[in-house]
Amino acid sequence: MSMTATVGRAHADPHHIGVVVEHPGPAPKRTVTAYGFWVFLLSDIVMFSCFFAAYAVLVSQTADGPKGSEIFEQRNVAIETVCLLLSSFTCGMASIAADVRNRFWFYLGMTVTCVLGLIFLAIEFREFADLVSRGYGPSRSAFLSAFFSLVGCHGLHVSAGVLWLLTMMAQVFAKGFRADVLRRMMCFALFWHALDIIWVGVFSVVYLLGSGV
Amino acid sequence: MPAAPTVEAMMLGKLDWSAIPFDQPIPLIAGGVVLAGILAVLIWVVVKGHLPYLWHEWITSVDHKRIGVMYILLASMMLLRGGSDAIMMRIQQAIAYQSQGYLPPEHYNQIFSAHGTIMIFFVAMPFVIGLMNLIVPLQLGVRDVAFPTLNSVGFWLTATGALLVNLSLVIGEFARTGWLAFPPLSELSYSPGVGVDYYAWSLQISGVGTLVAGINLVTTVLKLRTKGMNYLRMPMFCWTTLASNLLIVAAFPILTATLAMLLLDRYLGFHFFTNEAGGNVMMFMNLIWAWGHPEVYILVLPAFGIFSEVVSTFSGKALFGYRSMVLATMAICVISFMVWLHHFFTMGAGPDVNAIFGIASMIIAVPTGVKIYNWLFTMYGGRIRFATPMLWAVGFMVTFIIGGLTGVLVAVPPADFMLHNSMFLVAHFHNVIIGGVLFGAFAGFEYWFPKAFGFRLDERWGKLAFWFTFSGFYITFVPLYVAGMLGMTRRMQHYDVAEWRPWMIVAAIGMAVLSIGVICQIMQLVVSIRNREALRDRTGDPWDGRSLEWATSSPPPVFNFAFHPDVRGEDAYWDMKIAAQQQSLEHEEPEYHDIEMPRNSPTGFVCAFFATIMGFALIWHIWWLVILGSLGAFATFVVFAWRDHDEYVIPAAEVAAIDRVNLEERRNLVSMAGAI
Amino acid sequence: MSDQTHMHVEHDIAPGDEEQHSVGERIIGYVVGLGLALLLTATSFFIAGTDLVWQPSIPVALIVLAIAQMGVHLVFFLHITTGPDNTNNVLALAFGLLVVFLVVGGTVWIMSHLNQNMPPMDQFIRMHS
Ligand code: HEM
Ligand SMILES: [Cu+2]
Repeated sequence: MSMTATVGRAHADPHHIGVVVEHPGPAPKRTVTAYGFWVFLLSDIVMFSCFFAAYAVLVSQTADGPKGSEIFEQRNVAIETVCLLLSSFTCGMASIAADVRNRFWFYLGMTVTCVLGLIFLAIEFREFADLVSRGYGPSRSAFLSAFFSLVGCHGLHVSAGVLWLLTMMAQVFAKGFRADVLRRMMCFALFWHALDIIWVGVFSVVYLLGSGV
Repeated sequence: MPAAPTVEAMMLGKLDWSAIPFDQPIPLIAGGVVLAGILAVLIWVVVKGHLPYLWHEWITSVDHKRIGVMYILLASMMLLRGGSDAIMMRIQQAIAYQSQGYLPPEHYNQIFSAHGTIMIFFVAMPFVIGLMNLIVPLQLGVRDVAFPTLNSVGFWLTATGALLVNLSLVIGEFARTGWLAFPPLSELSYSPGVGVDYYAWSLQISGVGTLVAGINLVTTVLKLRTKGMNYLRMPMFCWTTLASNLLIVAAFPILTATLAMLLLDRYLGFHFFTNEAGGNVMMFMNLIWAWGHPEVYILVLPAFGIFSEVVSTFSGKALFGYRSMVLATMAICVISFMVWLHHFFTMGAGPDVNAIFGIASMIIAVPTGVKIYNWLFTMYGGRIRFATPMLWAVGFMVTFIIGGLTGVLVAVPPADFMLHNSMFLVAHFHNVIIGGVLFGAFAGFEYWFPKAFGFRLDERWGKLAFWFTFSGFYITFVPLYVAGMLGMTRRMQHYDVAEWRPWMIVAAIGMAVLSIGVICQIMQLVVSIRNREALRDRTGDPWDGRSLEWATSSPPPVFNFAFHPDVRGEDAYWDMKIAAQQQSLEHEEPEYHDIEMPRNSPTGFVCAFFATIMGFALIWHIWWLVILGSLGAFATFVVFAWRDHDEYVIPAAEVAAIDRVNLEERRNLVSMAGAI
Repeated sequence: MSDQTHMHVEHDIAPGDEEQHSVGERIIGYVVGLGLALLLTATSFFIAGTDLVWQPSIPVALIVLAIAQMGVHLVFFLHITTGPDNTNNVLALAFGLLVVFLVVGGTVWIMSHLNQNMPPMDQFIRMHS
């Protein structure tokens, strides 16, 4: 064996930095799980950014169909926005309740969050159905394709979030505030808040800026 | 237009007997042989009673080492499939001068599309992800990855994608659009069949798997290092793993979004990339390459890491310029997101845009060059052992320099206007992908095989495999450079230019030599398994390694390490060996503790089962089955979430028994080394 | 190694987790976040619909407001701060944002140039018919 060939490296750390900050070892599970989910959220945001980019590119390609300013209803969007903002708040309350293991406030917070999410979805669904019935469905023009996919993709995320929310309530009901349930609750809260951030982009870029095109 | 749907159409969607290509013997026979092979293996497994073993030890395993091995197995099998495609194409181009050859155009087009898709997504990706899975937790000194069950889900979803692509051989057809399915050709009006749908859904499903793997490995490297494993003490392979998986996490969503847009166009009549209603085909090129260029670095960065490990081990020296290497890796990670336009210089973005992306493409060659110099300086003055992994590493350095240089050449816009989509381009990317990624995968395979299985691979066959593959590669691809400069474009089913012919014949001969290389590789495996007792590695450290994976036995116990190693510097294991030698090993027994490990779970397999159903149903428009499949997948996750015990305990006594053997062997090793 | 001082650090906290706070403080955090978010949203909607400001500045203002609101959400709802125990979370965020910026910015830039140099198909057809 040639092991003795380079014993000369007496220093374990050849780069003298003076102070070596020792890594403390594997992180606790809660940090690991939430971090992984955080990374997932970032990737999800990158996915959304593609739809935003597509919208920006196609926004003026109306193919003689309606323009944004002709179909967007600012009032609806404002209500949707308020719903989501409030739901982010109630979701935050539910997380605090989960952390202090208070079932009542947890269920209450989650239920309100769920209802607000459903109101949001109902308004969005009505908007889509209305557009389609007027002949302004996604296959009318590239602009409408981009509009429906971007807004619809956010809507699908909210729907998935509602499904997840109900599963979370069921888990707390059946299993209590177990460590793994709390970890999932934390990921859920991150998810819900992140959808809000994306919605800020949606209402600013699609509805407000898009009306100006 | 559409008549009221019949019962059959509702039950089976677009599927009927015409989907089976009875009139095309080649895919039918090929598919039949594969099917028979799979059946034979299945029957053998069941009859021999191996099924329970397979189920408990492999299929439901959440052990990162097992999952890594399964990834590599999948990649190897797909390499044979993609390789067969390559052989068929080389033969076609060798004979199709002023004739139709033996492959009709629609079939030839499916073959080159399947070849590219399979080689990138189901060979290169699973191979490198498999190696990262297998080795990174060991190098970091930890017991598992961050999300073991998700890891299994990721693998099985990748397998689903591979399965669907191969299913297209016998049921329906594959895309005829090339491996990136450019619209408008891939839109419904020009590709009405199911080929593009097979392509897109396979990639969507396996893409989820890849994303999961990426998240898992990023989190593992950033959050699960052993005590003292500071960032700047991590082995190079961990750094490149981090960079590569950051790229996965950031780039694969772009692929998902782009394919989703294409699918919306095809399924629901959207107008993202159509010629009508304001759609814009160029946006597809733009988006897909915003994923595509980072993708090539996703593949090659782990290979760079493998070569770093191999070169330093077999030169008996610490890696030269470790910090510059880290910096170069992270620089590539960022810059690779700034060059994607070089894939469509000719699309008309104008001189200013082209110039900027051209310059960025040249800049990215700089950190790559830094790496090459670092490897050379690591070798300089070292005591080099030319074992098989080292041969692949040296072969890589030569080959990759050529590939990188031709890359910089096509990154010059005026030159690219001549060479774009010519055989020169084909030669360039095979030069970097085979010479970089595949050589890297083989080096890693040879290097870490003893760690995974406890015995070494036969060196004689390994070296033969290297020399045949290496020379076969040059005989195949140098002619393609020439043909490209003679004006030959890529993807030609036949041609009438006499000057190209000789080069195509030489390339076909090269392919034969390459194939001998592959056969040698298989022989190496067979011979080594047969001689495994003689090749047994009892020390856990067959190559005199430097990083922590060599500090545990081969194969490692499920828990990898009885204790989380305490790391004090770079080349952690090397330092331990030195320390052990200088102080002569203390013989007192450490105090062992119970170890908790994640329990096996069928979640991944079941989930992939439903994903397969869902994918198949989506491809064939069988809507009720789509709903059933998605419900199944959701139910799987809920059931998984409902589990009460996700861990089991290995008692301290058992840990002690396993570890004592390991320590004993290691003491012998060290005292032997000391004696020399 | 004697010339080196060894020092142990604590782990980063999880994204979404706050540093130790009482329940009351946490609730106040959410209330403040909600208030700021509503305020910014209202401003956005107001600016988009008004004639009171110089029109060309509206798009810029909307984008600035949106970014500000995203920041508010990140700080008050997702608890991403600049504290030392948040380094990894912030670095991941920065990388994600860089990619978003490159993809969106790059796409818009590239595609607008392509459009300048080559009219889209329907205009092209109209030009020739
Ligand atoms: C040294 C840095 C590199 C540069 C400057 C470079 C440059 C280029 C350019 C300009 C093209 C487009 C040429 C054309 O379409 O006309 C290209 C194509 C390609 N490169 Fe590279 N490249 C480099 C490294 C790599 C690496 C490391 C890989 C893979 C591991 C790779 C894989 C590919 C592939 C797959 C294609 C063609 C894909 C297709 O059109 O189907 N390149 N490269
Ligand atoms: Cu590229």
